[in-house]
Amino acid sequence: MNKEEFLNKLRANTTQQFDMPDMNINGIKYEDTIAQFISMTETSGGKVVNAKKDDNLNAIIREVYPDAKVIASNVSGIDASLNPDTVAEAQDLNGTDVGVVNGEVGVAENACVWVPQSMKEKSVCFISENLVIILHKSSIVDNMHDAYKAIHMTDYGFGCFISGPSKTADIEQSLVMGAQAARSVTIILID
Amino acid sequence: MKVGLFIPCYVDALYPEAGVATYKLLKHFGIDVSYPEKQTCCGQPMGNAGFERMAKPLARKFDDMFKDFDYVVAPSASCAAYVKVFYPHILEGEHECVSSKKIMDIVEFLHDVLKITSLPGRFNHVVSVHNSCHGVRELGLSSPSELNVPQFNKIIDLLKLIDGITIKEPERKDECCGFGGMFSVEETAVSIRMGEDKIERHMATGAEYVTGPDSSCLMHMAGIAKRENKNIKFVHVSQILAAGL
Amino acid sequence: MSTIHSKNAEIFNKDRAKTTWHDQTFWALREKHDNMAEQLPEWEELRSHASDIKCHTITHLADYLEKFSANLESRGVIVHWAADASEFNETVLDILKSHNVSKMVKSKSMLTEECEMNPYLEKHGIDVVETDLGERILQLLNQKPSHIVVPASHLKREEVGRVFEQKGISKEIGNYDPTYLTRCARYSLRKEFMDAGAGMTGCNFGVADTGDIVVCTNEGNADMSTSMPKLHIVAMGIEKLVPDYDSLAVFLRLLCRCGTGQPTTAFTSHFRQARPGAEMHVVLVDNGRSDIIADKEHWQTLKCIRCGACMNTCPVYRRSGGYSYTYFIPGPIGVNLGMLHDPQKHSENVSACSLCLSCDNVCPAEVAPGSQIYLWRQSLEALGKANKMKKIMSVGMSVLFNNPALYNTALKFAPLANIVPESITNIGHLNPWGVGHGNPEFAKKSFRRLWREGLK
Repeated sequence: MNKEEFLNKLRANTTQQFDMPDMNINGIKYEDTIAQFISMTETSGGKVVNAKKDDNLNAIIREVYPDAKVIASNVSGIDASLNPDTVAEAQDLNGTDVGVVNGEVGVAENACVWVPQSMKEKSVCFISENLVIILHKSSIVDNMHDAYKAIHMTDYGFGCFISGPSKTADIEQSLVMGAQAARSVTIILID
Repeated sequence: MKVGLFIPCYVDALYPEAGVATYKLLKHFGIDVSYPEKQTCCGQPMGNAGFERMAKPLARKFDDMFKDFDYVVAPSASCAAYVKVFYPHILEGEHECVSSKKIMDIVEFLHDVLKITSLPGRFNHVVSVHNSCHGVRELGLSSPSELNVPQFNKIIDLLKLIDGITIKEPERKDECCGFGGMFSVEETAVSIRMGEDKIERHMATGAEYVTGPDSSCLMHMAGIAKRENKNIKFVHVSQILAAGL
Repeated sequence: MSTIHSKNAEIFNKDRAKTTWHDQTFWALREKHDNMAEQLPEWEELRSHASDIKCHTITHLADYLEKFSANLESRGVIVHWAADASEFNETVLDILKSHNVSKMVKSKSMLTEECEMNPYLEKHGIDVVETDLGERILQLLNQKPSHIVVPASHLKREEVGRVFEQKGISKEIGNYDPTYLTRCARYSLRKEFMDAGAGMTGCNFGVADTGDIVVCTNEGNADMSTSMPKLHIVAMGIEKLVPDYDSLAVFLRLLCRCGTGQPTTAFTSHFRQARPGAEMHVVLVDNGRSDIIADKEHWQTLKCIRCGACMNTCPVYRRSGGYSYTYFIPGPIGVNLGMLHDPQKHSENVSACSLCLSCDNVCPAEVAPGSQIYLWRQSLEALGKANKMKKIMSVGMSVLFNNPALYNTALKFAPLANIVPESITNIGHLNPWGVGHGNPEFAKKSFRRLWREGLK
């Protein structure tokens, strides 16, 4: 069907119209936003490691994932054997033990971290067995209303809120971490 | 204050004692009570079955019969709710419905209008409160468990005025018992299973009696309990409240 | 006076233990919903906003669709307009064929179920691989979803384990541990993601203001489906549109809390354009939605965000299962959507409601599916679908109740019914009340008689 016919039918069938409500919603605020974010991350199956601005992130990653052989990242300063900017195909990132990416905004109410695509192959965010997200404490907000005011989309035109590892409860409602994407998520929270 | 007593059809035929208790309660608080004798049914059974058009003449008569009262009070949350929620729509285009603004369940009336603070009488038993669906979700006799609203329960508030009573609520405090009018004869298997589950949860509180504002739910559960020889009794809340009258 | 639903429900209830398990499984989700609602003081504010935003968007849908499609096209996304299921299926097949795709991985989409896309594509030689674990299990078993959010929750782990063994997905015979089985599915699906030629996703929300396609999953399978293949196809019902990010925040806060009782899904992905070197298509589907807008009584059904909360709370769904309904979407919202889709075909589900209205209260968008079922019942007579027995009973009541004198006489003789032994009246098909109930006893004196005898 062409677009005009499609939209004309919709217009013809619409006999009344409603206004948008005012959007002043009192979104929840937490006394300790950071503590709430950390606690929600743990509830979602994720892990939080606190770090100072000048800490050695590579050492932290090694400590959390001592057995990791293949690390993939394009974050500057991160020791990685694969770079999602330079691999030929997204599939080449399969077999990554740890992917390391930057998070832009953290959300206290549900442990979401906004990860905008800042690499050629976004598969690094999902295909890696374990995912490390680097996030600054100052970028944690209380709720999703605040989050949507704070996030940015890169020129790649993709971004994802990630809250803990991939999970499923499709078999008898029993929760299993690591369905199709990362089996574990570690947030490195920088002061 | 002039109150018209509405005794729904099945209360009239099967549970007149709930009607009598309601009458006694109103008289006890000095209310001028009348019972228009030409009343029959609110029409809900037909409406819920899909024949609202058959409820229309009943709604018309009801509205006319009760138009001059200050309040219409019924010992049945579901019937009161039908008048309150559905009559305005049923009578749309004929005239403005007045009874829908005057109708109240006896619990609502005692709690919200008379705001009673004491009742004579004792009831030395453990009771489990049956929060019937339409009482909860259409009349607002208690806070629905699905919503994030301040917690309240008008039935329990009133029962607390009776000496000697122990008040319980079942787990899943306002899950449906499975009556639903013709639902109980059309969806027999599910209806009976819902009733059995509900009775089990009421009994698990240790209650000797199940009480609530809807005789229809109580009838459904009592029917199942009778068939399955369950040791639990059912009594309309008005009868407990009128225990000392 | 039974319906297809009630007959199926009767069979379902014969397995008492499984009925108990099914009821408890979904009640647990309902309790999680309550827990989530309690934690947000603004909960009811969110629900009323969600409803208002949807009312606004649906009644300005053409304008928002123009804005939305223009935003997508400005970044090279190809937008298609499908009037119905067959146009949708043909469009998808055309896209796949023009890219020589023989295998497509896909995430969960109720729209593709609605359009019966998988069988159509398979008939035309496309290997469609469901990647949501629940959907994948059902695909292997050749079953349909029994719930829209947790589609395989009616299955026991043994049933899953056995089909995995048959298909060679699990190697340890007799190991039915959910973690083990999930791991097996992960390795098996990983291969599919690697060599599929296309990835399809549904769309939970389309944002008119930005052109974002927002997809929510817990498994990350929508992202896996779109990160490797060079072709991304989005199947989107037009009612999925919201105006902007502020609106989106309201719905995302409600969706998962209502559906699975989590504060969010693990992944909330925003697709605005194809990834480098790839192509992205969005197929916008009407398939009856524009007719629903014109339906004065039922148009608000379009506010539904497919969270599944009404199923979880429905005492009838919990005790009859997803397959007892004739429409592929079960529960309160499914009864409504089935009637909107084809009333002649799906009127047999309208009985599946005790009008308890719990669904009206859990619905995040205030669709009021239970109240809507009351309205559907009123239309059955005109559709020629009214139950004869119910009609006879209603006419009987109507005669009685409209005639106070007759009603009086009936009441006078009512107590006689008590003398008739229960064993005689308890014949199932003649007296459905007698199937599970002992008979109620008529009072010796009705209230009206007591009144006349001097109660006043």
